[in-house]
Amino acid sequence: MNAGFSAASVCTMSKKPLGFVLLLVLLIPSLCARAAQVGAAEIGAIGVEATGVGATGMKATEVEDLIRHMDALWRGETSKALLTMTVTTRRYKRTMTIEAWSHGKHRSLVVVRKPKKDRDVATLKVKENIWNYLPKINRVTKVPSSMMAGSWMGSHFTNDDLVKDSTFEDDYQSSITFAGERDGRAVYEVTSIPKADAAVVWGKVTIVFEQSAMTPLHALYYDEEDVLVRTMRFDQPREIDGRLVPMRMQLQPEDKADESTVIVYENIEFDVPLQESFFSLQTLKRRR
Amino acid sequence: MPVNPSVFVFIAWRNIWRYPVRSLLTVFALAGGLVMVILYSVLVEGISRQMVDYATEMSTGHLQLHRRAFVDEQDLYATLPWSYLDAIETRLPDISAAPRLYAAGLASAQASSTGVLMKAVDAVREPMVTSVLSQVRSGTVDLGPASPSEEGLERHNVVVGTQLAKNLKLQVGSELILVTQAADGSIGNGLFRIAAILNPVDTAFDRTGVLMSIEAFQAMMYLQTGFHELAIKTRDTADLEISQAALDATVRRLTAEQPLDALGGAALVRNWREINPTISDMLELSRSMVIVMGFIIVGLASFGMLNTMLMAVHERTHEFGILLAIGMKSRWLMLMVLIESFFLALISALAGAVIGVWSGRYIQRHGIDFSGTMPDGYDWAGMSFEPVMRGHLEPAHVISACLIMTLVAMLSSLFPCWRTVRLKPAEVMR
Repeated sequence: MNAGFSAASVCTMSKKPLGFVLLLVLLIPSLCARAAQVGAAEIGAIGVEATGVGATGMKATEVEDLIRHMDALWRGETSKALLTMTVTTRRYKRTMTIEAWSHGKHRSLVVVRKPKKDRDVATLKVKENIWNYLPKINRVTKVPSSMMAGSWMGSHFTNDDLVKDSTFEDDYQSSITFAGERDGRAVYEVTSIPKADAAVVWGKVTIVFEQSAMTPLHALYYDEEDVLVRTMRFDQPREIDGRLVPMRMQLQPEDKADESTVIVYENIEFDVPLQESFFSLQTLKRRR
Repeated sequence: MPVNPSVFVFIAWRNIWRYPVRSLLTVFALAGGLVMVILYSVLVEGISRQMVDYATEMSTGHLQLHRRAFVDEQDLYATLPWSYLDAIETRLPDISAAPRLYAAGLASAQASSTGVLMKAVDAVREPMVTSVLSQVRSGTVDLGPASPSEEGLERHNVVVGTQLAKNLKLQVGSELILVTQAADGSIGNGLFRIAAILNPVDTAFDRTGVLMSIEAFQAMMYLQTGFHELAIKTRDTADLEISQAALDATVRRLTAEQPLDALGGAALVRNWREINPTISDMLELSRSMVIVMGFIIVGLASFGMLNTMLMAVHERTHEFGILLAIGMKSRWLMLMVLIESFFLALISALAGAVIGVWSGRYIQRHGIDFSGTMPDGYDWAGMSFEPVMRGHLEPAHVISACLIMTLVAMLSSLFPCWRTVRLKPAEVMR
């Protein structure tokens, strides 16, 4: 082979770089709080502007209330979840049962429970680093920066999606671009634009929240040319520990209509007792 | 008056040796130019042949068969069924075929990790098509199962290039971890042992290639459906187009009998020129460069010829005047000067050809050794060459170089000839 015999193709061979997923539930199960918090934090920063614009229809006090509400939601820092991930591509369809723990937004551990072939394959994320534990060879490998654009566990998520989630607030400037009724529901639309110096994949990310419960409805990911690249949909909200959490998420790449990755929660617990030290390479290797 | 032309030949020959030193200098200049041209063509031909050999013998083979989607985007799933291999081998007994599989992955060793291109080959068929497995720098090429790791986990042998071994600090016997995305979407992974390190041949392979057996590849990638590439060596390289057409027809018949899945695209037969257009273009370019350089070198040397003949004519002006006065026709004078130039050119061509062929053969046999300054050879057009540059003497090139030289030398003597024609006996005899 000749055309493909280059380092560049080695990196891009598996999947198109998809980039960042704001609401990757796997690793940030308190997603509704998290997502809204991103928007709200920025509303704080641009509070005056938001009020001044008036299009949002929000008063300064309301913005502050929203921030406080989101902060309170976010304080529940740890979580434990059991979920199934179904990946459908043109070439294969596979369903995995996954157990996931998280601590804040910087630490998470994911272990595959089913199918048998992938049993005990585990991923640890601490800040911007990802390690995989592979039981077949009993080794922990760190995912290098060159492989960040690669698919995570064969899904439509990339390794980068897991990492960039932590730095979303630093990388993007968010503002409320719409507040009002849409499709019979009162919604907020938060649009995030990357900051000038941020090394990010997306040109624009738009998230629509339902107003009263602040649950996300869908997120749209655009590239630098403002073309929609992929859509994440959220549904089946369920109240857990006083938060309304969507139990099902579907990631849909726009250029492949017949492909998708669907995540369904079987259960989520918040505020479980978990130490930061739980998210270590030792745990990664021990949990098989 | 009947004229015997042999008289002019005789006089012209005698005239050359009136000033032997001057004539010999001219001959040296022309012959030297000719030697330069011959040596240049010997080197270019040698490098060209080496490139073709490397391109075909080392990895590409003469022909290759792929799916369209694999050529375009290295689609992992764009495989040709294994039944095609058997069918091609039975239907075209005159060719040797070697199946290959490719996948991108991440290789980790103790110290570091890097992206690699895994290449699976058939250890029995591959040596019949290319010599990639024989370019061993250290270790022995063995693609079978290796000794288990310290914890008793199963391992396979792999072979890597020199640069990758250097980058990952690998030696023969080192352990290598390969992680990739398998065909079913799972994380394909495996433990491997370095069985051998290969000499650099293909620059890209040397940096990122990992060779393994097809069995090890299938166990890691869960890809049983077929192969990505079939490299083919034909018996006779001269009729490459005929072999290509035969293979193309066979593959077309096969696809009619056993249709391929729609996603991977059609089967594609290409020859090495189509696969490596840069090398093919480069060969064309360097061959035309030989002709251009040849004309420049010979052209410069011909100024010596021009000078000599101008002098020869000038100093004999008086003599020519007398000959003209006693009835010699000026065109015969011109013929005499032309024959004189021709003799000079002929002597130069003979001397140049003899020296050129002799030194060309030396370069062909012994090569020019650069291993003192470049122990690892040199890279050109994405290929690594051995530090000894070997020439190749092509008799046809020597003959055409001699013809070019004679032609240019004769052209440069036209000006002195023209001056003899214009001589006026009354003026020059004064």
